[in-house]
Amino acid sequence: MSADTQLLTGYDAGAARARFGGWLARAAASLPVLWLVLLLPRHADDWTNNAIFAAIYAMVGLSMNVLVGYTGQISLGQQAFLGIGALTAANVVHTGTNAPDPFTFALGIVAAVAISAGAALLLGGIALRIRGLYLALVTLVFGAVTADAIFTIPALNGNDAGVSAYRPSALQSNYSYYLFALAMVGICLYVDVWIRRSKVGRGLIALRDNELVASAYGINVLGYKLLGFVLSGAMAGLAGGVFAFWSQEFSDKDFTAAAGFNKALIFVVMVVVGGLGNRAGVVAAAAFFALIDPLLAGLAHHTGWLNYYTDHKAYISNIIGAGLLLQTVIFNPGGLGQVLRPFTRWFAGHRFSLHDDHGDAAAAALVGAGDVRA
Amino acid sequence: MHELAGSFSTQINLLTPIVSGIANGAAYGLLGLGLVLLYKSNRIFNFAQGEFATVAAIVAYVFDRGTGWVPKVPYFAAIAIGVATAVLVAIATERFVIRPLFHRPRVVLVVATVGVALFLMGIEGILPYPQTASLRTISDVLNVRSYAFKVDGVVALDQDLAKLGALTVLAVAAFVFFRYTATGTAILAVSQDATAARVVGISVERISMTTWAIAGLLGGVAGVLLAVPPAGSVTPGSITGLTLTVAFSAAVLGGMTSLPGAFLGGILIGLIEAFANADHSFVPGLNSLPTAQAEVAVAVVLLLILLVRPRGLLGQEA
Repeated sequence: MSADTQLLTGYDAGAARARFGGWLARAAASLPVLWLVLLLPRHADDWTNNAIFAAIYAMVGLSMNVLVGYTGQISLGQQAFLGIGALTAANVVHTGTNAPDPFTFALGIVAAVAISAGAALLLGGIALRIRGLYLALVTLVFGAVTADAIFTIPALNGNDAGVSAYRPSALQSNYSYYLFALAMVGICLYVDVWIRRSKVGRGLIALRDNELVASAYGINVLGYKLLGFVLSGAMAGLAGGVFAFWSQEFSDKDFTAAAGFNKALIFVVMVVVGGLGNRAGVVAAAAFFALIDPLLAGLAHHTGWLNYYTDHKAYISNIIGAGLLLQTVIFNPGGLGQVLRPFTRWFAGHRFSLHDDHGDAAAAALVGAGDVRA
Repeated sequence: MHELAGSFSTQINLLTPIVSGIANGAAYGLLGLGLVLLYKSNRIFNFAQGEFATVAAIVAYVFDRGTGWVPKVPYFAAIAIGVATAVLVAIATERFVIRPLFHRPRVVLVVATVGVALFLMGIEGILPYPQTASLRTISDVLNVRSYAFKVDGVVALDQDLAKLGALTVLAVAAFVFFRYTATGTAILAVSQDATAARVVGISVERISMTTWAIAGLLGGVAGVLLAVPPAGSVTPGSITGLTLTVAFSAAVLGGMTSLPGAFLGGILIGLIEAFANADHSFVPGLNSLPTAQAEVAVAVVLLLILLVRPRGLLGQEA
């Protein structure tokens, strides 16, 4: 049954909301998820460390979701915004070996968001005038040039030795910093929800689906696209700020050459595998790609393949990422989000159903035969 | 180089950039030809083109050296096996990735080629072979002097001339193929209207496979010519990392729909890079440029061409 016929008949299986007992069941069912997110990372310090990295990737995934999922633009240069955020935060909070006071730390994070948003505004102002798939090329070149020309300036990267970015004393332990990172993911999730529900989101999606029709309805094409670009850049910048204080250092080597190129590709892979426009799927996929390395390392350690794995880890995660990407675009265009959707809908208070007739339009847009949209 | 600061030298400021620019430009053109071919016929950017090249280079290398259980074969046979492997990989890409996505938006196909590139890079990476090695140069194989001629101390290497020669031959051949052969015309017909092409009896599936096979061939030839010292190697992903982005810029500059444009754009971008990288200290005020000047120059050219003339120098349409 399509969305149109549902409107006509007024029947919608999902419209039945849960009662008190139902909510209790949902609360009970969410306990394992909460345990996984909140308590498992506490188990060991390097697990906490990996969990922070997963939170950072979740933010990048959400930033890609705004860009690719809602505006339909593809970016192969998102790692540049992550880098700009990290560079800004580290340079603002440049305290040498001392821990910064909370105010400086907050200033660093805010500056990371602001500068990344500014860079996105600049890139978007130019790039969005370029039509079609060429935008993908422009973002690819932007990512490489930003890393190689700006991140390598000695005054910005601590004369090639890296800029230290220590955490304030309250966030010194990995677990407290992890909780902070989770809060930042919460902000990104909130922005994502807000975009999706507001006029902005409807405008962006209308644009994505048909630019001509949308502009005929009075939607400011360039303005909305630019807004999507800036919001996405700001989120990636926030992730970059958190990244800088996670590694406690900004180093250009994380973003130049193959390291940067690999990040750019993995970010595209994770948003597609997660399911365009589906925030739960994107967060799950992002966390998966962030944790794939420690998980496989653990597996290889127990099976005696650790040396082989360490030598080839970039390639092994390439194969897994590429395999999942191709699997998703060919067989399962809704991505992980589509698979998770019966559960996420149930948690939102709808009746549990494997048949979701009016799933997110983003998946439909990816499946559908539209014209060039990049 | 720095002791010459302040004065113009024909050798350093003119001849060296011209020679190295044309040599690198030939490489960009070779890779760009395959990109243009697939854009012309499928309207997509193929991010896996660099990996088609690397696959050919790796296979050629292991057969040339006879590493592991692979038999050692004569150099030119090894080259042929390498290029043939690239063609097979391209055909497999078409059959298993592109064809199932034929009716999807183009952006999905582009994302899928990114996936293919990552996948091939990963497979190359886990194979046991000397990953930092390079192919033998053509002058090593023929046992001749490594350069053809020398002007004012600047040498024109045999291997660079081979790149330029191969680029010229392939660009002309591909141009003739599209202009004068039935298959070439059929490829263009499919790209303009697949349904109408099917109505007049063209097998769209066969045409698609042919196109990708040719792209694999072009990529393979590029690979065996690029993976030579001093800069080239058979390292997984090295051709994608070093050459692909610039090759895209070159193809856009020449015009994504024009095969001669790939030639022209390649050489021009090569020259722009070389002159941007050369010593500028003879120009007052330009003696302290930031790093990565070549990359910045290429990016500026790409942006300008896309904003001012999106169809490129020789392209037919946007």
